[in-house]
Amino acid sequence: MTARVNELADNTTVLKYALVAPAVFVILLIGLYPFVQLALTSVQNVTMFGADNSFHGAVHYERLLGDERLWSALWNTIWFTAVALPIELVLGYLLALLFLQPLPLRRTLIAIILLPTVISPIVAGATWRLMLDQRFGPVNQLIGWIIGRDVEILWTINPSLVWPAVLVAEVWQWTPFMFLILLAALSNVDREQLEAAEVDGAGAWTVFRKVVLPAIMPVVVIAVLIRGLDLFRVFDVIWTMTQGGPGTRTETISIYAYQMAFREFEISYSAAIAFLVIVLLTIAVLVALRRVEIAR
Amino acid sequence: MSYNKPVRRGLAAGIAAAMALWPAAAGAQSAADIAVEAAKEYSGITLNVLYEAGLQPLDPKNFTGPLWEELTGIKINVIEAPVDQMFTRTMQAHLADSGAYDVLNVIPNQMPDLALAGALEPLDAYVEKFGFSAELDMIAPVYRDNQMRVEGTIYGLPDDGDVLILYYRRDLFEDPENQAEFMDKHGYALAPPTNWEQFSDIGQFITDKYAPEIYGAGMLRQPGNAQYLFQERFRVEGGKFFDEQTMKATINSDVGVAVFQAMLAENDFMPPGVEQWGFIEAFNAFLAGDIAMTISWPPVGRWAAGYGRGTEALNWIPETTVADTIGYALPPGGRPELAVGYSLSVASGSRNKEAAYLFAQWMNSEEISLQRVQLPYALRDPFRTSHFESEEYRSRWPNAGDYLDTLKAGAETGLLDLSLIQTDRYEEGIRQALSRLWGGEDPQTILDDLAAQWDELTERIGVDKQKRAYLDWSNKPNAYPN
Repeated sequence: MTARVNELADNTTVLKYALVAPAVFVILLIGLYPFVQLALTSVQNVTMFGADNSFHGAVHYERLLGDERLWSALWNTIWFTAVALPIELVLGYLLALLFLQPLPLRRTLIAIILLPTVISPIVAGATWRLMLDQRFGPVNQLIGWIIGRDVEILWTINPSLVWPAVLVAEVWQWTPFMFLILLAALSNVDREQLEAAEVDGAGAWTVFRKVVLPAIMPVVVIAVLIRGLDLFRVFDVIWTMTQGGPGTRTETISIYAYQMAFREFEISYSAAIAFLVIVLLTIAVLVALRRVEIAR
Repeated sequence: MSYNKPVRRGLAAGIAAAMALWPAAAGAQSAADIAVEAAKEYSGITLNVLYEAGLQPLDPKNFTGPLWEELTGIKINVIEAPVDQMFTRTMQAHLADSGAYDVLNVIPNQMPDLALAGALEPLDAYVEKFGFSAELDMIAPVYRDNQMRVEGTIYGLPDDGDVLILYYRRDLFEDPENQAEFMDKHGYALAPPTNWEQFSDIGQFITDKYAPEIYGAGMLRQPGNAQYLFQERFRVEGGKFFDEQTMKATINSDVGVAVFQAMLAENDFMPPGVEQWGFIEAFNAFLAGDIAMTISWPPVGRWAAGYGRGTEALNWIPETTVADTIGYALPPGGRPELAVGYSLSVASGSRNKEAAYLFAQWMNSEEISLQRVQLPYALRDPFRTSHFESEEYRSRWPNAGDYLDTLKAGAETGLLDLSLIQTDRYEEGIRQALSRLWGGEDPQTILDDLAAQWDELTERIGVDKQKRAYLDWSNKPNAYPN
């Protein structure tokens, strides 16, 4: 009898693997193959003038170390992510709190708030470029009306204004995403716990810290991870608004990689950049997940 | 928007008549005739033609494409790309061996890169086989000698006489009161500026007197456009891009800094926000009469004179207010930039190379190109001697003769865009430098950074290799003023 059970268990295990195998194979094919190809290309020498597929060692990685423009682009990316993400999170949370209340036209307002998220980022960038246009943009006109004289603010050219301009566009488009996720999470916080905390005399901050935050934390972590990864890869909105300028002031790692790959055709070097980004993001994601585990 | 059938038939009949007369006059079959006859063999195929997005494709979509199909049975499929992506798209198609394009529009200073990368088909054998040499020789020398070959091999048929010339408002310049006041103030006559000091004097004078209704000038300032004005002016003022011995960048010389400082200072007498102006902004302002001077590509001179008014394709252009007062001159320094331009090439990955070449030869031929440069909506500018001298063209508007004479003079004295191995990377540096300049950074710092960036790039490409390419370019008569 025991042997029969073991045999069945063994067969079940085999069956499970057999069932999962095709999906794993497909994932490996579409995920691992490009990764391996990328790694291989980064140690070859493929440029616009030809493909030397022989092994060139770490020559492109050595170049990465001394490439000031790369590190500047990486710093811009980290800075942009570090600033935009908390703003989107806090604004999204505040909006979600607001919409937890029974408001008139609540559903319609939620739909309107979500509109920017369904727009392509390249369209969002183009829209904000027009909004901030020095001659025809409504933003300058509005400021002019408020202060009572014409203003000539060069939002996408002035080095001290260009980052705020890009940030506004990014936050405008993606805060609704945070809002939606957090609204769903907040809606599912246990009412009984909240009421119990109130009865026990807990203040708003204590209720948030001890009841709300633990309840919504898993969702917040996922939302932050998704947006964090998106922000780290940001390209479209900045490309449309500034093309990385003035100079390279708003150049992010994705824009730099694009320039190297598709304008300069330094294919192997851009593969090395991409590989570096993958490594950095993998470390960041692993650390984040590890912290979540610890928090649990 | 497209030509209706009767109009197309009329055009076809006109071209057919012109083609019928041409061989009789020349005593031999024309290059256009030869191309049509040979192309009939490929009837039924479709050629993919890469064009700059925007107005450029109106020609193949409305004129040459339908006419070619009518004459040969070959369909033309126009694929558009923004000008700054044409190189990328061409290279991507080549690297992927996709055969996505048959006929290419190639910016001449990018031709060496594309040819060396193997993206372009050598055309010498086709030129000989289809008897195009004589008509190629009739292209204006500056385009023929500089925008056709790479290391002695033909890779493109020069097809666009791009040159940046000065447009000005004659009514303001010829006004007796303005002339007297200007003479009193500066001690010389108010006339189109022949150097950049005069340009500043005149620009400031008009702005002081007429702004905000009219400003002294409005120039191309978006880095993608402004880089050509910088390249021209830097050389006119005596600058050299590199040291010929060491190949070290000399863009950060005193000349470079002075030009940067002057360009920045001139913005003060131009309309607010000029830093964001590209072709369209400067063009609109000139047509509206908001600026007294601008330097731009040849279509500005035609459309500002009212040529093409009423054409459906040009209904986006504001009504010109300067049609009767526009004047044409060479820009300060008298050595205009032959900025951008186009040559017609055949993609090496094309599956229909001969048919692609025949379409290019036909479009580029004497009689067809003369029609093309006169299309009201055309962005192709006169590039053959016969275009400049065409009585038909010279009668298109009252001072069309002055316009064509100025373009011809520009073609004779014009300066070539910098052309090296991986030119776009060097030009990208200029574009970034200009965007930093408009952002308020110090000119010397910006140009020092640019020089360092160029030096690093040259090192990576190989100093000797790049030096050969540079010397090949710089030894051309139209690379530097002297």
